[in-house]
Amino acid sequence: MPLARFSSFELLLLKSRHQTDTASLLLMAWVLASRGHITAPDRQRFAELAHDFRHGHDLDPLIEIAASHDLAAIQLAAEVLHKDASGERAYPFLRQVTALAASDGPLTAANYHILCFLADLLGVPPNEFSGLFEATTGQPFKAPDDPSCTAYWQAKERQQEQHHQRESENRRDSSSRQQHQHDHHRQDQRSQQQQRHHHQRQHEKRSNTHQSPPPNDRTRRALAVLGLEPGASRSEIRKAYRRLAQVHHPDRVFARGDAITASASQRFQRIKKAYDYLMEAS
Amino acid sequence: MRDLYQRLGIDRQAGTDDIRQAIDACDHNALKTDASTVLEVPSRREEYDRLHATLTDIGCLRARLGLTHGPYWRDSVANDFSLPPDTSRPLHEVLLSRIGEAVMLHNRWRRYRGPWLIGGIFVLGFLMGAALCHWWL
Repeated sequence: MPLARFSSFELLLLKSRHQTDTASLLLMAWVLASRGHITAPDRQRFAELAHDFRHGHDLDPLIEIAASHDLAAIQLAAEVLHKDASGERAYPFLRQVTALAASDGPLTAANYHILCFLADLLGVPPNEFSGLFEATTGQPFKAPDDPSCTAYWQAKERQQEQHHQRESENRRDSSSRQQHQHDHHRQDQRSQQQQRHHHQRQHEKRSNTHQSPPPNDRTRRALAVLGLEPGASRSEIRKAYRRLAQVHHPDRVFARGDAITASASQRFQRIKKAYDYLMEAS
Repeated sequence: MRDLYQRLGIDRQAGTDDIRQAIDACDHNALKTDASTVLEVPSRREEYDRLHATLTDIGCLRARLGLTHGPYWRDSVANDFSLPPDTSRPLHEVLLSRIGEAVMLHNRWRRYRGPWLIGGIFVLGFLMGAALCHWWL
């Protein structure tokens, strides 16, 4: 037998007042650690949860082990839990883990997979677990979008953009509202003021329409048509254009009927226009 | 989620040049587009890698715990992170056997400590006597 030393989690498990509870706590810390980094509110929540567990020692070593992604420790904890808490006895633990995973906004993809793993480990079938999840958090337990797809990133970046736009609009709104309040104080020249305000607003609107596509907006859209990021070089643009032109060229689908040829030609036109614009602009 | 590294046939720590070469050499158009979208932008690659690491860990754990074909992983045909089952000894068993070994050593030491102590003192006395005879007489 190799005379290896006992690892830190093995020692913790041996000293613990209740091995199953210590193992559960390590798996909970793993759920927290898989979000990226453990924040101070997370630690506090974890400490509050740990009151119900018969661990009887400091929580920091457990958090450290989980944050270092020590796979052997996690496997040992999973084995202990599998041995002692599978079947009916798993439900309280799964409920606590679910609440912890969903405590900070929507469920992350990593936490989704970890919850699946834990439910599978403890022998809870998928339909029962999704029921438990819904009862605990009030949201459906559905698979996250797939980040190995192009569509995921497009949707995500579009959402971020919209968020930014909304924020800037809100800022503009609030500043104009302040202006409005300021105007209300001068009641003696109300009609004039209103007229002026109206003019001003119209002027604003006009300047807005003039401004609203920022100088590189068309470039960005054209790049998006070619499936490129802002800041792509000329050679990348040419390469993307050639690839897309080959795929979408109407001659390719000529044999498959007029409708398909027409739609391909439309797509091809869009790609060609985007390419021409980019070549002129850059 | 698909394991793009495995599908492109490259290592997870591959540099940007290797990735670009692998993508250029790939025959599968859809995979090509997706891989270049995800892996050629550093911020996206970082996020993808984080989830990739978690899923690799879970795949490893499932293999060791005998959960490779659990109902949660059955429906996704393209589950790239499933590994063949690992038949090494469970860690909990290993831990128990190591505790047993440690307890045995401890007990043996307790049981044989008396005779060993007497023998040790006797040998020490003999050596000191020999040294005295040798140096002083």
